[in-house]
Amino acid sequence: MLKTKQAAMAAFIAMLSSTSALAASDKDIETLRAEIQNMKQAYEERINELEAKLNKVENIQAQSVVPKATTPATAGRSVKDNSFNPSIGVILNGQYNAFSSNEGEVAGFAVGHEGERPREGFGADHTELNFSGNVDDKFFSSITAAIAQHEGTSEIELEEAYIQTLAGSGLPDGMSVKVGRAFWTLGYLNEHHSHADDFADRPLPYRVFLNGTFNDDGAEVSYVLPTPFYAEIGGGAFRGDDFPFGEGAGSNAGAWSAFARIGGDIGNNQSWRLGGYMLSGSADGSRLSNEDLVSFTGDTDIYAADLRYTWAPTGNARDREIILQSEFFWRNEDGVYEDTEAATGAINFDDSSRGWYAQAVYKFDPQWRIGARYSQLQPANVPAGLLGSALDADGYDPQAYSAMLDWTNSEFSRVRLQYNREELSRGQDDNQVMMQYIMSLGAHGAHKY
Amino acid sequence: MRQLLSMVALGLLCAAPVTAQAKVNIFACEPEWAALAEEIGGDNVTTFSATHAKQDPHHIRARPSLIAKARHADLILCSGAGLEVGWLPLLIQKAGGHVQPGSVGYLMASEYVPILEKPIVVDRSMGDVHPEGNPHIHLNPHNILLVARELTKRLETIDRPHAGSYQSKLNEFISRWQPAIARWENNAVPLKNLPVVVHHRGFSYLLDWLELRQVASLEPKPGIPPTTSHLEGLLQQLKAKPASMIIRTPYEPKEASEWLSERIDRPAVVLPYTIGGDDESDNLFKLFDRSMSLLLGAVDDQ
Repeated sequence: MLKTKQAAMAAFIAMLSSTSALAASDKDIETLRAEIQNMKQAYEERINELEAKLNKVENIQAQSVVPKATTPATAGRSVKDNSFNPSIGVILNGQYNAFSSNEGEVAGFAVGHEGERPREGFGADHTELNFSGNVDDKFFSSITAAIAQHEGTSEIELEEAYIQTLAGSGLPDGMSVKVGRAFWTLGYLNEHHSHADDFADRPLPYRVFLNGTFNDDGAEVSYVLPTPFYAEIGGGAFRGDDFPFGEGAGSNAGAWSAFARIGGDIGNNQSWRLGGYMLSGSADGSRLSNEDLVSFTGDTDIYAADLRYTWAPTGNARDREIILQSEFFWRNEDGVYEDTEAATGAINFDDSSRGWYAQAVYKFDPQWRIGARYSQLQPANVPAGLLGSALDADGYDPQAYSAMLDWTNSEFSRVRLQYNREELSRGQDDNQVMMQYIMSLGAHGAHKY
Repeated sequence: MRQLLSMVALGLLCAAPVTAQAKVNIFACEPEWAALAEEIGGDNVTTFSATHAKQDPHHIRARPSLIAKARHADLILCSGAGLEVGWLPLLIQKAGGHVQPGSVGYLMASEYVPILEKPIVVDRSMGDVHPEGNPHIHLNPHNILLVARELTKRLETIDRPHAGSYQSKLNEFISRWQPAIARWENNAVPLKNLPVVVHHRGFSYLLDWLELRQVASLEPKPGIPPTTSHLEGLLQQLKAKPASMIIRTPYEPKEASEWLSERIDRPAVVLPYTIGGDDESDNLFKLFDRSMSLLLGAVDDQ
């Protein structure tokens, strides 16, 4: 009985609620309709308003931008599947060397591995692999790895891995920032890969002061001034790991640099560039040299200057050209030297040394060039504690004479024969013959001046 | 030291002229484009040519002076198609944002004309071939017209206040250029189908336009200087099938073409190739007048 009553109640309630729901929905529909009508009207008004605005803007544009900015047709040409791959280039750089002397010590200098005399015999050292390309509209990047032989094993050496801002990336015109590892701006040769050198080996100052090349990790900013002639200034901050520094530690930059360059033309066929550079930093841990037998801890300052002059006597540099080039280095070291082989112990050292070279290259035929180079070093006078050590030159100035002949079949291949007479220590006269080939495979960027 | 250097840097920055450019600075890679820019730009532009007629535009150094000029350019006008690939990228890299590839201030003429000799396969064993095709496009006067139209559009965009002047200069140029083309084409009738030998494939557009036949080049492969064995081979080929002349640019060495000229008893002709290529060729009209008269002269002598 109770159950049926409850069921009836429930049914009644259900009926009630459903009818009320129906009644409510009719009302709601009415209001909804009204609302939709309102909205429709409102939107139509807004759309009309927007259309009017758009027309207005279009008219303004049509009036003001009569010659519309044209997009060059570059984008329309030859799009391939791999068009976004980076450019890939390989440099095959091999040498055959023969030396008359067993020793290649440089009197008065402790040199790093790259600054040592190269290996005798055949060597396919310094084959370079390069990948480069624009990252996007703001950045360019490039990676160069060298595959080099070091103490019997092949090593992959990261020569360069940097990003660089592109012109038009938002920096002022003429300004560029390069970050990563790169052949930084210092003198003439340092910026260039060795395959672009005019001789098979680097001149003496590069070997003793920079261990071939300075490519520390860091950042550099450069700015081409808006002057009518060429003038560029810049500077960088570096980790302080690479020779002539050592073991940069912590977040502080271990080294920094500054440079300024000017250049121009003389008449139609002559051109020149002059630069001044400085590189300063410290070896906090130590700079190891002479096969880790000599160590230096302390501050190193290098000041350098370079001059390059080119002359195309017939106007056409393809045909005939004379290139003169010279660089001067001055280094001051303030710290502690130790030669473990000579068992000197740690000796305080504060002195300077110098080095320079000058070279001339003459292209007498579109495919043939001859060249001559002279390099000289002036070591520091060592304190009493370092007498008899590797740093003691005993008043001797190392020097080297070079002569080369090269044949360039095309822009992509060159074969070179070079003769060196190196007088790097007293009584150690070394007659050297070097044969070198440099071949470029694939993409190859334009060479700097 | 650090302070001193930054002061020097600051001083240099302040000393730099911050003049508003009244004129449009046009950096032309080759003299023919500088001449065209002068025709269209007139007094509203200053033009600079990165190369002169005695220079091979393939082999230019990215000299400091060129970096400075490109840095100031509002428009860079070059042949393109890889002709300047050995030096222009370095200049562009240090130039302003408005002359970068894809911008209004970057005009590569070869992108606006039909390209000849576009290789289907490229391999470096073929010599210095340009994957983009032959870049020496300016010796067909119809190409000059196409580039002139594009150049006008660019100048109108860069220098809006003078848009009207550029348009009227273009119209005026066309009104003189088109009759000149008709005249040249009329005069060129005796040249039709003549077989010629070139030093480098720098005249392909001229020969194609005038319907001469390029039967051989002194370079064994593009960009590779003539070799004795190649020249001997050519001599045999030309003895069997003679050519009417050997042509070269003012910047190409004379030895190879003169050697061959003596042996086949046909003239070795130096065409001006570009503005300033000889004393007479000091504008675009005279460049073509002179080229035509040299070609016709060489034929008359035979």
